[in-house]
Amino acid sequence: MTDKIIEILKASSADAWEVINTVTEAWEFYFIKHELDQNRVRDVEHITVKVHRKLEDGKFLGTASEEIPPTATEEEIKKVIDNLYERASFVKNPYYELNSEKVEVSSTDVDPRAVSKAYIEALNEVPETSGEFINSYEIFVEKNKRRYVNSEGIDATVVSPSSMVEVVVNARNEEHEIEIYSMYKAGTCDKEHIVSEIKNSLKYGKDRLSTVPTPALNKATVVLPTEDAGQIYKWFACKMMAEYKYRGYSNFEIGKEISDKVKGDKVTLLGLKELPNSSSNGDIDSEGAKTKDMYIIRDNVPENFWGGCQCRYYLGIKDSYVVSNFQALGGSRTEAELRSGTYLEVVQFSDFTVDEITGEIAGEIRLGYYHEGDKVTPVSGGSVSGSLAELMNCMYMSKESKQYNNMLMPSIIKIEDMTIAGAE
Amino acid sequence: MKAKFSTYLTEVAPGLKSLIKELNKSYDYVSILATDSTGFSVNASQKVKGINGNNTLMSERGNVVRVYKDGLYSEYAFNIFDKDNAAAQAEKIKNVLDQQLALLTETGSKIYDTPKLSDEKEELFVEMETMSMPEDEDLDKLMQKLQGFSDAGKAKSDEVIDCTVRAQSTHVCKMFLTENRDLRQSYVISEGSIVMIGIRGEKNDFVYNGISDREGPALFDKFADLVDVSFKELEDNLGSDHIVPGEYEIITTPEVSGLIAHEAFGHGVEMDMFVKKRALGEEFIGKRVGSENVTMHEGAKVIKDVSSYAFDDEGTLAGDVIEIDKGILKTGVCDALAALRLGIKPTGNGKRQNFEHKAYTRMTNTMFDSGEYTNEEMIASVKKGYLLSGMFSGMEDPKHWGIQCIVSRGYEIIDGKLTGKVVAPVCLTGYVPDLLGSISMASKDYESFGSGACGKGYKEWVKTVDGGPYLKAVARLG
Repeated sequence: MTDKIIEILKASSADAWEVINTVTEAWEFYFIKHELDQNRVRDVEHITVKVHRKLEDGKFLGTASEEIPPTATEEEIKKVIDNLYERASFVKNPYYELNSEKVEVSSTDVDPRAVSKAYIEALNEVPETSGEFINSYEIFVEKNKRRYVNSEGIDATVVSPSSMVEVVVNARNEEHEIEIYSMYKAGTCDKEHIVSEIKNSLKYGKDRLSTVPTPALNKATVVLPTEDAGQIYKWFACKMMAEYKYRGYSNFEIGKEISDKVKGDKVTLLGLKELPNSSSNGDIDSEGAKTKDMYIIRDNVPENFWGGCQCRYYLGIKDSYVVSNFQALGGSRTEAELRSGTYLEVVQFSDFTVDEITGEIAGEIRLGYYHEGDKVTPVSGGSVSGSLAELMNCMYMSKESKQYNNMLMPSIIKIEDMTIAGAE
Repeated sequence: MKAKFSTYLTEVAPGLKSLIKELNKSYDYVSILATDSTGFSVNASQKVKGINGNNTLMSERGNVVRVYKDGLYSEYAFNIFDKDNAAAQAEKIKNVLDQQLALLTETGSKIYDTPKLSDEKEELFVEMETMSMPEDEDLDKLMQKLQGFSDAGKAKSDEVIDCTVRAQSTHVCKMFLTENRDLRQSYVISEGSIVMIGIRGEKNDFVYNGISDREGPALFDKFADLVDVSFKELEDNLGSDHIVPGEYEIITTPEVSGLIAHEAFGHGVEMDMFVKKRALGEEFIGKRVGSENVTMHEGAKVIKDVSSYAFDDEGTLAGDVIEIDKGILKTGVCDALAALRLGIKPTGNGKRQNFEHKAYTRMTNTMFDSGEYTNEEMIASVKKGYLLSGMFSGMEDPKHWGIQCIVSRGYEIIDGKLTGKVVAPVCLTGYVPDLLGSISMASKDYESFGSGACGKGYKEWVKTVDGGPYLKAVARLG
């Protein structure tokens, strides 16, 4: 089917084109406690075609795209491509070039059955009690075969694994029952990691049963020891996206330190070709560009914008790509050294968000620990907020690191002067 | 005009019925949801523009088979089907599902035993009215129109960095088949948004305003009104301060009222959560959960907007449920399998992100009833508080009834008057019964909003709609 589309594209008037074909074989299992609610299989193919057309003597490049059903007839494909060629003339973007460097790619084969089995066994290994137990879980395992072809000579097919588990654990005492929600993503199943993470959730659940309302601290030092901290680094990554820079959403500049008021650790962020068992590993990005390890920000100084070929071309950036694995480097102190004094450690939010444009932070506290020296009090309710554009001046990252799928980052981050709305 | 039903689905229907017949030899219940929904999205801005076909949330073409045997429901989703070779497809489906069952036996997994769905005879063919069709839209003219709105937004001030205008329209066609049921529906939904981004000194901010309806692209004429509104709100945000955390009297605009409805008692009474014992609401049926001023409806028939269909993704006809009546929690909403497990009737709320995804209990239109006051009377009644306007996001905790709503801005009210001071953003948190119990006034207004999407947890994105009147309440803001 894809070859037929390519043949039609080559015979068309398109000045450039791209075809992305993804075939997915997925196994899914949905459990209530440990009883199977439903099993599912997905056996699907998706084909997206992009047609590019030079306009006004090449000053502009129009682009239009459409997903073509794998059941489409030759006549239907021709009609779609003709329509896309016409539509592309309505889209006057400044001219840019597609990726053209040919890259050797490798694949990682995957057996959805074996990965599914590993996940089911892992969930069965989690030690539960009558007070802390698994409420439900959903397992998603995918084998994806993705072919990217463009008019500039790139034709690469990559097979890769992707998996995800959603787990809800409950904890209860005589008075009430609470739940902790978690989502884990990875290439395939890392049993030890999953069991360890769910054990943590069970502990958090137990602690949440004995919380007191979060005090009205107004301003406090906050420690984030979970995947939520990834939202902090994601904001820096967004500021370095070529599209954000081109659109004027980012004021970061190559070679210019992002703040002159820093009293804490500086941010170093890298794009990585691979991370162990990441679901985002690959030799090429989503547009066929070669992936590699590269500094994005080093010691608070922007080094490389990253992103798609269109906005990179506008900014004059050639040697970059759509990064999908990130690493944030640690700071100068250990986790133990950072865990000192009085601070609020938040391990569960309803939803921890950092707005990509404004850097505004917000999150309702589902479970936190208020540390006052040796005294530790579990708390819940209220919220954490603040502006990351200001708070980045007083952030401290641990030397130790921890990986969450496609993000390797310091195991904890400590931020001073955050705003706390208490629940008292 | 009527939205014509898919020719493709009409052509594959006999083949799919043959597939059902084949699968019925091995299973006790078989259904197929087949979809052919096509659409477009057009984006205009000062920097990057785009036209994309079949990339809207509801664009899809494919099938999902649901089969039942020995207390277990299994599904197989596919989008390549030879309508002349149903027997081979049936064999393929049976083989792979048997492989999954073998794995479950190997891992010692038990089945959550569920009764069989009924299959009473029903036929339905619905082609809903629409002012225009996405297939007929002149995308050149639409792009020019949207670019005009973007240019008008940018021209408002040098502080405006960009004004991105997005329009998308989808012709939804779905067919639900079993041995005895043949339901087909066709309708058009459209939605759009303006995102205006600005900068003042070192401060960046943005505003979002959306439009939506179960209508064709004719809806996009409404953008003209939103450019001025968006610019005013952007100026308000750029001049805003941070709020001093605390408990305040609040007036919520209909959009924020809708966000509260959605997060407070939308997710909290999705009854598949009752099956898993994940919702506190189950214990409060028949009990007070809000003030006398709180009445809330949920269902595809409640209003006409992007989630107003004739039947859901499990072949249950659309409904209109009163969830909360004058503060008393009456019932929740339910998909077909959760209904079987709870021994109740489904409410027409079984929805999938698309044919590839599992059906869950999901919201459609979640609306607070309107009241008797004017917006002005409500503001005049506030001693010290905020008028909350614009929404970013929300999150629920049905097991503990916590709520989190991120609101774009709050306009300060002192002694019944707006002072002109703006705070942004605002994080509203609290305990749902306390928040709904504090609702003391509702306005005569009644507006719905459907330009966003709703997830279950952090996945399974579907179109939902919410709204209602202005509400007065007391809430914790940070």
